[in-house]
Amino acid sequence: MIKKVYLPLFFLFLTSVMQEFIVSRITLFNVSADVVIIFLAYVAVTTNRNPNTSFGFAAGMLTGFLSGNMGLNMLARTVGSFIVGYFHTPKESHATAKQKSKRFYGAVIVATLCTNAILTAADNPLGFSTVYRIVVFGMLESLYNLILAVILDWLFLRQSLGN
Amino acid sequence: MRKYFTLFMEHSAWLLFVLYCSIAILFIRLQQDDVQAMVRSESSEFSAAVDEQLTKLSSLFTLKRENERLMRINTDLLSRVLTLETSAVDERSRQKILADTTLNASGFIMARVVDRKFSDRENMLLIDAGWRRGIKKDMTVLVPEGLVGRVISVSENYARVMPVIHPDFKVVVVADSCGSMGILSWSGGREFTAQVEHIPISSRLKLNERFVTADFSTFSIRGLPVGRVVHLKPDNLFYAVDIRLAVDFSTLTHVLVAPLKINPEKIRMTSDSTVTKTGL
Repeated sequence: MIKKVYLPLFFLFLTSVMQEFIVSRITLFNVSADVVIIFLAYVAVTTNRNPNTSFGFAAGMLTGFLSGNMGLNMLARTVGSFIVGYFHTPKESHATAKQKSKRFYGAVIVATLCTNAILTAADNPLGFSTVYRIVVFGMLESLYNLILAVILDWLFLRQSLGN
Repeated sequence: MRKYFTLFMEHSAWLLFVLYCSIAILFIRLQQDDVQAMVRSESSEFSAAVDEQLTKLSSLFTLKRENERLMRINTDLLSRVLTLETSAVDERSRQKILADTTLNASGFIMARVVDRKFSDRENMLLIDAGWRRGIKKDMTVLVPEGLVGRVISVSENYARVMPVIHPDFKVVVVADSCGSMGILSWSGGREFTAQVEHIPISSRLKLNERFVTADFSTFSIRGLPVGRVVHLKPDNLFYAVDIRLAVDFSTLTHVLVAPLKINPEKIRMTSDSTVTKTGL
Protein backbone atom coordinates (compact mmCIF):
# COMPACT_ATOMS: atom_id res chain seq x y z
CA MET A 1 0.00 0.00 0.00
CA ILE A 2 2.76 2.40 1.02
CA LYS A 3 4.84 1.53 -2.03
CA LYS A 4 1.90 1.67 -4.41
CA VAL A 5 0.12 4.82 -3.24
CA TYR A 6 1.91 6.97 -0.67
CA LEU A 7 5.39 6.81 -2.17
CA PRO A 8 4.19 7.86 -5.66
CA LEU A 9 2.04 10.54 -4.03
CA PHE A 10 5.07 11.83 -2.16
CA PHE A 11 7.08 11.90 -5.39
CA LEU A 12 4.19 13.59 -7.10
CA PHE A 13 4.13 16.31 -4.45
CA LEU A 14 7.90 16.63 -4.62
CA THR A 15 8.02 16.93 -8.41
CA SER A 16 5.07 19.38 -8.41
CA VAL A 17 6.80 21.67 -5.93
CA MET A 18 10.07 21.37 -7.82
CA GLN A 19 8.31 22.12 -11.09
CA GLU A 20 6.56 25.24 -9.83
CA PHE A 21 9.35 26.73 -7.79
CA ILE A 22 12.54 25.61 -9.51
CA VAL A 23 12.23 24.01 -12.93
CA SER A 24 9.65 26.41 -14.38
CA ARG A 25 12.05 29.28 -13.71
CA ILE A 26 14.82 27.73 -15.81
CA THR A 27 13.77 28.64 -19.34
CA LEU A 28 15.43 28.38 -22.71
CA PHE A 29 13.75 30.12 -25.65
CA ASN A 30 10.85 30.94 -23.31
CA VAL A 31 10.26 27.24 -22.67
CA SER A 32 11.03 25.20 -19.58
CA ALA A 33 11.00 21.45 -18.94
CA ASP A 34 8.21 19.75 -17.01
CA VAL A 35 9.34 17.13 -14.52
CA VAL A 36 5.74 16.37 -13.51
CA ILE A 37 5.09 15.08 -17.02
CA ILE A 38 8.15 12.87 -16.81
CA PHE A 39 6.89 11.50 -13.52
CA LEU A 40 3.42 10.89 -14.96
CA ALA A 41 4.94 9.16 -18.00
CA TYR A 42 6.88 6.88 -15.70
CA VAL A 43 3.70 6.11 -13.72
CA ALA A 44 1.84 5.51 -17.01
CA VAL A 45 4.40 2.98 -18.16
CA THR A 46 4.55 1.13 -14.85
CA THR A 47 0.93 1.19 -13.64
CA ASN A 48 -2.58 0.71 -14.96
CA ARG A 49 -4.54 3.42 -16.66
CA ASN A 50 -6.91 4.08 -13.75
CA PRO A 51 -4.29 5.01 -11.15
CA ASN A 52 -2.34 6.75 -13.86
CA THR A 53 -5.31 8.96 -14.75
CA SER A 54 -5.90 9.64 -11.07
CA PHE A 55 -2.28 10.64 -10.64
CA GLY A 56 -2.62 12.96 -13.60
CA PHE A 57 -5.67 14.54 -12.04
CA ALA A 58 -3.90 14.89 -8.68
CA ALA A 59 -0.80 16.32 -10.37
CA GLY A 60 -2.98 18.86 -12.18
CA MET A 61 -4.64 19.77 -8.92
CA LEU A 62 -1.30 20.26 -7.17
CA THR A 63 0.43 22.23 -9.90
CA GLY A 64 -2.76 24.19 -10.53
CA PHE A 65 -3.02 25.04 -6.86
CA LEU A 66 0.59 26.19 -6.83
CA SER A 67 0.37 28.08 -10.11
CA GLY A 68 -3.11 29.54 -9.59
CA ASN A 69 -4.69 27.92 -12.65
CA MET A 70 -6.19 24.78 -11.21
CA GLY A 71 -8.90 23.87 -13.73
CA LEU A 72 -6.70 24.05 -16.80
CA ASN A 73 -3.82 22.15 -15.18
CA MET A 74 -6.20 19.45 -14.00
CA LEU A 75 -7.64 19.04 -17.48
CA ALA A 76 -4.30 19.10 -19.29
CA ARG A 77 -2.56 16.63 -17.01
CA THR A 78 -5.60 14.31 -16.80
CA VAL A 79 -5.81 14.18 -20.58
CA GLY A 80 -2.06 13.72 -20.90
CA SER A 81 -2.00 10.95 -18.33
CA PHE A 82 -4.99 9.20 -19.85
CA ILE A 83 -3.49 9.24 -23.34
CA VAL A 84 -0.09 7.98 -22.26
CA GLY A 85 -1.93 5.17 -20.52
CA TYR A 86 -1.58 3.44 -23.91
CA PHE A 87 2.17 3.19 -23.20
CA HIS A 88 1.51 1.01 -20.21
CA THR A 89 3.67 -2.09 -20.23
CA PRO A 90 2.30 -4.89 -18.07
CA LYS A 91 4.73 -6.80 -15.91
CA GLU A 92 3.81 -10.02 -17.62
CA SER A 93 4.66 -8.62 -21.04
CA HIS A 94 8.27 -9.90 -20.93
CA ALA A 95 9.40 -6.59 -22.47
CA THR A 96 13.08 -5.80 -22.06
CA ALA A 97 14.34 -2.79 -20.15
CA LYS A 98 15.33 -1.14 -23.40
CA GLN A 99 11.85 -1.59 -24.81
CA LYS A 100 10.35 -0.20 -21.65
CA SER A 101 12.72 2.77 -21.83
CA LYS A 102 11.62 3.43 -25.40
CA ARG A 103 7.98 3.33 -24.33
CA PHE A 104 8.85 5.64 -21.47
CA TYR A 105 10.47 8.12 -23.87
CA GLY A 106 7.46 7.88 -26.17
CA ALA A 107 5.13 8.46 -23.22
CA VAL A 108 7.15 11.53 -22.21
CA ILE A 109 6.93 13.00 -25.71
CA VAL A 110 3.21 12.29 -26.18
CA ALA A 111 2.31 13.46 -22.68
CA THR A 112 4.30 16.65 -23.16
CA LEU A 113 2.70 17.40 -26.52
CA CYS A 114 -0.83 16.74 -25.25
CA THR A 115 -0.39 18.64 -22.01
CA ASN A 116 1.41 21.50 -23.70
CA ALA A 117 -1.23 21.69 -26.45
CA ILE A 118 -4.03 22.09 -23.93
CA LEU A 119 -2.09 24.46 -21.67
CA THR A 120 -0.80 26.72 -24.42
CA ALA A 121 -4.11 26.71 -26.30
CA ALA A 122 -5.90 28.11 -23.29
CA ASP A 123 -3.19 30.21 -21.72
CA ASN A 124 -1.06 32.62 -23.76
CA PRO A 125 0.97 34.87 -21.50
CA LEU A 126 3.59 35.73 -24.14
CA GLY A 127 1.18 36.59 -26.96
CA PHE A 128 2.44 34.11 -29.55
CA SER A 129 0.12 32.58 -32.13
CA THR A 130 -1.69 29.38 -31.15
CA VAL A 131 -0.03 27.20 -33.79
CA TYR A 132 3.40 28.54 -32.95
CA ARG A 133 2.82 27.89 -29.29
CA ILE A 134 1.51 24.38 -29.80
CA VAL A 135 4.06 23.31 -32.38
CA VAL A 136 7.24 25.13 -31.48
CA PHE A 137 6.83 25.31 -27.75
CA GLY A 138 5.42 21.80 -27.68
CA MET A 139 8.38 20.43 -29.61
CA LEU A 140 10.89 22.38 -27.58
CA GLU A 141 9.37 21.26 -24.30
CA SER A 142 9.21 17.69 -25.59
CA LEU A 143 12.89 17.88 -26.43
CA TYR A 144 13.80 19.24 -23.00
CA ASN A 145 11.65 16.61 -21.29
CA LEU A 146 13.11 13.85 -23.44
CA ILE A 147 16.66 14.89 -22.55
CA LEU A 148 15.72 14.98 -18.87
CA ALA A 149 13.93 11.62 -19.18
CA VAL A 150 16.99 10.02 -20.81
CA ILE A 151 19.24 11.35 -18.08
CA LEU A 152 16.87 10.18 -15.34
CA ASP A 153 16.47 6.85 -17.07
CA TRP A 154 20.21 6.33 -17.17
CA LEU A 155 20.71 7.46 -13.61
CA PHE A 156 17.73 6.07 -11.70
CA LEU A 157 14.87 4.58 -13.66
CA ARG A 158 16.46 1.90 -15.82
CA GLN A 159 16.70 -0.58 -13.01
CA SER A 160 13.16 0.17 -11.91
CA LEU A 161 11.82 -0.20 -15.43
CA GLY A 162 13.76 -3.40 -15.89
CA ASN A 163 12.09 -4.89 -12.83
CA MET B 1 -27.16 -5.64 -12.60
CA ARG B 2 -24.13 -7.80 -13.01
CA LYS B 3 -24.12 -6.87 -16.64
CA TYR B 4 -24.00 -3.16 -15.78
CA PHE B 5 -21.30 -3.74 -13.20
CA THR B 6 -19.20 -5.61 -15.74
CA LEU B 7 -19.72 -2.86 -18.26
CA PHE B 8 -18.71 -0.28 -15.68
CA MET B 9 -15.57 -2.17 -14.75
CA GLU B 10 -14.61 -2.65 -18.39
CA HIS B 11 -14.86 1.05 -19.11
CA SER B 12 -13.83 2.33 -15.72
CA ALA B 13 -10.79 4.11 -17.15
CA TRP B 14 -12.97 6.08 -19.56
CA LEU B 15 -15.52 6.84 -16.89
CA LEU B 16 -12.79 8.00 -14.56
CA PHE B 17 -11.32 10.10 -17.34
CA VAL B 18 -14.69 11.69 -18.08
CA LEU B 19 -15.25 12.32 -14.39
CA TYR B 20 -11.87 14.00 -13.95
CA CYS B 21 -12.29 16.03 -17.11
CA SER B 22 -15.71 17.15 -15.96
CA ILE B 23 -14.31 18.26 -12.65
CA ALA B 24 -11.48 20.09 -14.40
CA ILE B 25 -13.91 21.80 -16.79
CA LEU B 26 -16.09 22.73 -13.84
CA PHE B 27 -13.06 24.33 -12.20
CA ILE B 28 -12.24 26.19 -15.40
CA ARG B 29 -15.81 27.43 -15.59
CA LEU B 30 -15.73 28.55 -12.00
CA GLN B 31 -12.46 30.34 -12.62
CA GLN B 32 -13.93 32.10 -15.64
CA ASP B 33 -16.84 33.30 -13.56
CA ASP B 34 -14.35 34.67 -11.11
CA VAL B 35 -16.07 32.82 -8.35
CA GLN B 36 -13.44 33.72 -5.81
CA ALA B 37 -13.94 37.40 -6.40
CA MET B 38 -17.68 36.89 -6.39
CA VAL B 39 -17.53 34.96 -3.13
CA ARG B 40 -15.23 37.61 -1.66
CA SER B 41 -17.55 40.34 -2.76
CA GLU B 42 -20.59 38.53 -1.41
CA SER B 43 -18.86 37.79 1.85
CA SER B 44 -17.84 41.43 2.16
CA GLU B 45 -21.41 42.53 1.55
CA PHE B 46 -22.68 39.98 4.01
CA SER B 47 -20.22 41.00 6.72
CA ALA B 48 -20.96 44.68 6.03
CA ALA B 49 -24.68 44.04 6.38
CA VAL B 50 -24.14 42.15 9.63
CA ASP B 51 -21.86 44.93 10.90
CA GLU B 52 -24.46 47.53 10.00
CA GLN B 53 -27.16 45.69 11.90
CA LEU B 54 -24.87 45.23 14.88
CA THR B 55 -23.98 48.91 14.81
CA LYS B 56 -27.64 49.83 14.72
CA LEU B 57 -28.29 47.51 17.62
CA SER B 58 -25.42 48.86 19.67
CA SER B 59 -26.44 52.42 18.88
CA LEU B 60 -29.73 51.72 20.65
CA PHE B 61 -27.84 50.93 23.82
CA THR B 62 -25.58 53.95 23.51
CA LEU B 63 -28.38 56.34 22.56
CA LYS B 64 -28.44 58.10 25.91
CA ARG B 65 -24.71 58.69 25.88
CA GLU B 66 -24.89 59.86 22.27
CA ASN B 67 -27.69 62.26 23.12
CA GLU B 68 -25.69 63.67 25.99
CA ARG B 69 -22.69 64.10 23.74
CA LEU B 70 -24.79 65.88 21.12
CA MET B 71 -26.32 68.05 23.81
CA ARG B 72 -22.86 69.08 24.96
CA ILE B 73 -21.89 69.90 21.39
CA ASN B 74 -25.09 71.87 20.92
CA THR B 75 -24.49 73.79 24.11
CA ASP B 76 -20.97 74.58 23.06
CA LEU B 77 -22.07 75.70 19.60
CA LEU B 78 -24.91 77.76 21.02
CA SER B 79 -22.52 79.44 23.41
CA ARG B 80 -20.18 80.28 20.54
CA VAL B 81 -23.01 81.61 18.40
CA LEU B 82 -24.29 83.77 21.24
CA THR B 83 -20.82 85.12 21.92
CA LEU B 84 -20.30 85.94 18.26
CA GLU B 85 -23.73 87.51 17.88
CA THR B 86 -23.23 89.61 21.00
CA SER B 87 -19.85 90.74 19.76
CA ALA B 88 -21.36 91.62 16.39
CA VAL B 89 -24.17 93.62 17.99
CA ASP B 90 -21.72 95.43 20.25
CA GLU B 91 -19.48 96.22 17.34
CA ARG B 92 -22.43 97.52 15.29
CA SER B 93 -23.53 99.76 18.16
CA ARG B 94 -20.00 101.04 18.62
CA GLN B 95 -19.63 101.75 14.92
CA LYS B 96 -22.98 103.48 14.87
CA ILE B 97 -21.93 105.87 17.64
CA LEU B 98 -18.51 106.51 16.12
CA ALA B 99 -20.02 107.04 12.66
CA ASP B 100 -22.11 109.98 13.79
CA THR B 101 -20.48 112.96 12.11
CA THR B 102 -22.32 115.57 14.13
CA LEU B 103 -20.60 114.46 17.30
CA ASN B 104 -16.87 114.58 17.86
CA ALA B 105 -16.49 111.55 20.06
CA SER B 106 -12.73 111.61 20.21
CA GLY B 107 -12.65 113.06 23.74
CA PHE B 108 -15.45 110.91 25.02
CA ILE B 109 -15.28 107.59 26.77
CA MET B 110 -17.35 104.85 25.30
CA ALA B 111 -19.07 102.44 27.64
CA ARG B 112 -21.51 99.62 27.46
CA VAL B 113 -24.73 99.49 29.40
CA VAL B 114 -24.36 96.34 31.47
CA ASP B 115 -27.40 96.67 33.71
CA ARG B 116 -30.49 98.78 34.03
CA LYS B 117 -33.42 99.15 36.26
CA PHE B 118 -36.51 100.49 34.56
CA SER B 119 -39.83 101.13 36.13
CA ASP B 120 -42.51 103.76 35.90
CA ARG B 121 -41.02 105.58 38.93
CA GLU B 122 -37.32 105.10 39.17
CA ASN B 123 -34.77 104.18 36.53
CA MET B 124 -31.06 103.58 36.74
CA LEU B 125 -28.29 102.48 34.36
CA LEU B 126 -25.00 100.75 35.07
CA ILE B 127 -22.14 101.15 32.60
CA ASP B 128 -18.92 99.15 32.37
CA ALA B 129 -16.55 102.05 32.83
CA GLY B 130 -15.31 103.28 36.21
CA TRP B 131 -12.63 105.56 37.61
CA ARG B 132 -9.97 103.28 36.15
CA ARG B 133 -11.06 104.53 32.73
CA GLY B 134 -11.42 108.12 33.86
CA ILE B 135 -15.09 108.24 34.75
CA LYS B 136 -15.98 110.78 37.43
CA LYS B 137 -19.12 111.78 39.22
CA ASP B 138 -21.37 114.27 37.40
CA MET B 139 -20.04 113.48 33.97
CA THR B 140 -22.60 113.74 31.18
CA VAL B 141 -23.76 110.53 29.57
CA LEU B 142 -25.02 110.80 26.02
CA VAL B 143 -25.53 109.14 22.69
CA PRO B 144 -25.53 110.80 19.27
CA GLU B 145 -29.32 111.08 19.46
CA GLY B 146 -29.18 113.12 22.67
CA LEU B 147 -28.75 113.32 26.43
CA VAL B 148 -28.94 110.10 28.42
CA GLY B 149 -28.19 111.21 31.98
CA ARG B 150 -25.41 111.88 34.42
CA VAL B 151 -22.97 109.79 36.40
CA ILE B 152 -23.92 109.73 40.07
CA SER B 153 -21.50 107.20 41.51
CA VAL B 154 -18.32 105.53 40.33
CA SER B 155 -16.50 102.35 41.26
CA GLU B 156 -13.28 100.92 39.86
CA ASN B 157 -14.84 99.44 36.75
CA TYR B 158 -18.46 100.54 36.79
CA ALA B 159 -20.49 103.69 37.11
CA ARG B 160 -24.11 104.32 37.94
CA VAL B 161 -25.99 106.67 35.67
CA MET B 162 -29.08 108.57 36.58
CA PRO B 163 -30.99 108.82 33.31
CA VAL B 164 -33.20 111.63 32.18
CA ILE B 165 -36.16 109.45 33.05
CA HIS B 166 -35.53 109.59 36.78
CA PRO B 167 -37.71 111.70 39.10
CA ASP B 168 -34.66 113.37 40.68
CA PHE B 169 -33.05 114.28 37.39
CA LYS B 170 -33.25 117.89 36.27
CA VAL B 171 -31.41 119.84 33.62
CA VAL B 172 -31.74 123.30 32.13
CA VAL B 173 -32.86 123.16 28.52
CA VAL B 174 -33.37 125.76 25.86
CA ALA B 175 -35.71 125.74 22.86
CA ASP B 176 -33.91 125.58 19.56
CA SER B 177 -35.76 128.36 17.67
CA CYS B 178 -37.37 130.71 20.18
CA GLY B 179 -34.66 130.38 22.84
CA SER B 180 -37.11 129.83 25.69
CA MET B 181 -35.52 128.18 28.68
CA GLY B 182 -36.95 125.72 31.13
CA ILE B 183 -36.11 122.87 33.43
CA LEU B 184 -36.49 119.36 32.12
CA SER B 185 -37.81 116.78 34.51
CA TRP B 186 -39.55 113.43 34.44
CA SER B 187 -42.48 112.72 36.64
CA GLY B 188 -42.90 109.02 35.99
CA GLY B 189 -45.14 107.16 33.58
CA ARG B 190 -44.10 106.69 30.01
CA GLU B 191 -40.32 106.49 29.51
CA PHE B 192 -40.32 108.50 26.28
CA THR B 193 -42.15 111.55 27.60
CA ALA B 194 -40.74 114.21 29.94
CA GLN B 195 -41.87 117.66 31.04
CA VAL B 196 -40.31 121.11 30.73
CA GLU B 197 -41.22 123.53 33.47
CA HIS B 198 -40.94 127.26 33.92
CA ILE B 199 -41.59 128.34 30.35
CA PRO B 200 -43.68 131.51 30.52
CA ILE B 201 -46.82 131.75 28.45
CA SER B 202 -45.35 134.81 26.80
CA SER B 203 -42.87 132.53 25.09
CA ARG B 204 -43.22 131.87 21.35
CA LEU B 205 -42.80 128.14 21.86
CA LYS B 206 -44.49 125.94 19.28
CA LEU B 207 -45.24 122.29 18.86
CA ASN B 208 -42.46 120.10 17.51
CA GLU B 209 -39.84 122.56 18.60
CA ARG B 210 -36.56 120.98 19.68
CA PHE B 211 -35.01 121.38 23.10
CA VAL B 212 -31.28 121.16 23.72
CA THR B 213 -29.22 121.42 26.87
CA ALA B 214 -28.35 124.95 27.93
CA ASP B 215 -25.01 126.28 28.98
CA PHE B 216 -26.47 127.00 32.41
CA SER B 217 -26.27 123.35 33.39
CA THR B 218 -23.70 122.53 36.01
CA PHE B 219 -22.86 119.15 34.51
CA SER B 220 -24.15 118.86 30.98
CA ILE B 221 -22.33 120.08 27.95
CA ARG B 222 -24.22 122.58 25.87
CA GLY B 223 -26.33 121.85 22.81
CA LEU B 224 -27.17 118.22 23.43
CA PRO B 225 -30.59 117.34 21.96
CA VAL B 226 -33.15 116.42 24.57
CA GLY B 227 -36.44 116.07 22.69
CA ARG B 228 -39.26 117.74 20.80
CA VAL B 229 -42.43 119.41 22.02
CA VAL B 230 -45.41 117.12 21.58
CA HIS B 231 -47.90 118.78 23.90
CA LEU B 232 -48.23 122.45 24.82
CA LYS B 233 -50.85 123.73 27.27
CA PRO B 234 -50.90 127.25 28.74
CA ASP B 235 -51.42 127.47 32.49
CA ASN B 236 -51.67 130.53 34.73
CA LEU B 237 -48.12 131.74 34.34
CA PHE B 238 -46.31 128.97 32.54
CA TYR B 239 -46.83 126.47 29.81
CA ALA B 240 -47.30 122.82 30.66
CA VAL B 241 -44.94 121.34 28.09
CA ASP B 242 -44.57 117.65 27.28
CA ILE B 243 -41.63 116.65 25.12
CA ARG B 244 -40.82 113.38 23.44
CA LEU B 245 -37.30 112.43 24.47
CA ALA B 246 -34.69 112.12 21.76
CA VAL B 247 -33.15 109.00 23.27
CA ASP B 248 -34.88 105.65 23.10
CA PHE B 249 -33.97 104.17 26.46
CA SER B 250 -35.43 100.80 25.59
CA THR B 251 -32.72 100.16 22.99
CA LEU B 252 -29.78 101.69 24.78
CA THR B 253 -26.70 99.47 24.60
CA HIS B 254 -23.70 101.79 24.27
CA VAL B 255 -23.20 105.30 25.58
CA LEU B 256 -20.59 108.01 25.51
CA VAL B 257 -19.38 109.74 28.64
CA ALA B 258 -18.39 113.37 28.11
CA PRO B 259 -15.46 114.92 29.99
CA LEU B 260 -16.35 116.69 33.18
CA LYS B 261 -17.37 120.24 32.73
CA ILE B 262 -15.15 122.03 35.25
CA ASN B 263 -15.76 125.65 35.87
CA PRO B 264 -15.25 126.24 39.63
CA GLU B 265 -15.67 129.95 39.38
CA LYS B 266 -19.03 129.62 37.72
CA ILE B 267 -20.10 127.03 40.28
CA ARG B 268 -19.02 129.29 43.10
CA MET B 269 -20.86 132.27 41.65
CA THR B 270 -24.07 130.32 41.07
CA SER B 271 -24.00 128.18 44.19
CA ASP B 272 -25.82 130.77 46.24
CA SER B 273 -28.73 131.16 43.85
CA THR B 274 -29.13 127.68 42.29
CA VAL B 275 -29.17 125.05 44.97
CA THR B 276 -30.85 121.77 44.27
CA LYS B 277 -30.37 118.30 45.53
CA THR B 278 -29.07 116.97 42.28
CA GLY B 279 -27.91 120.11 40.53
CA LEU B 280 -29.07 121.43 37.21
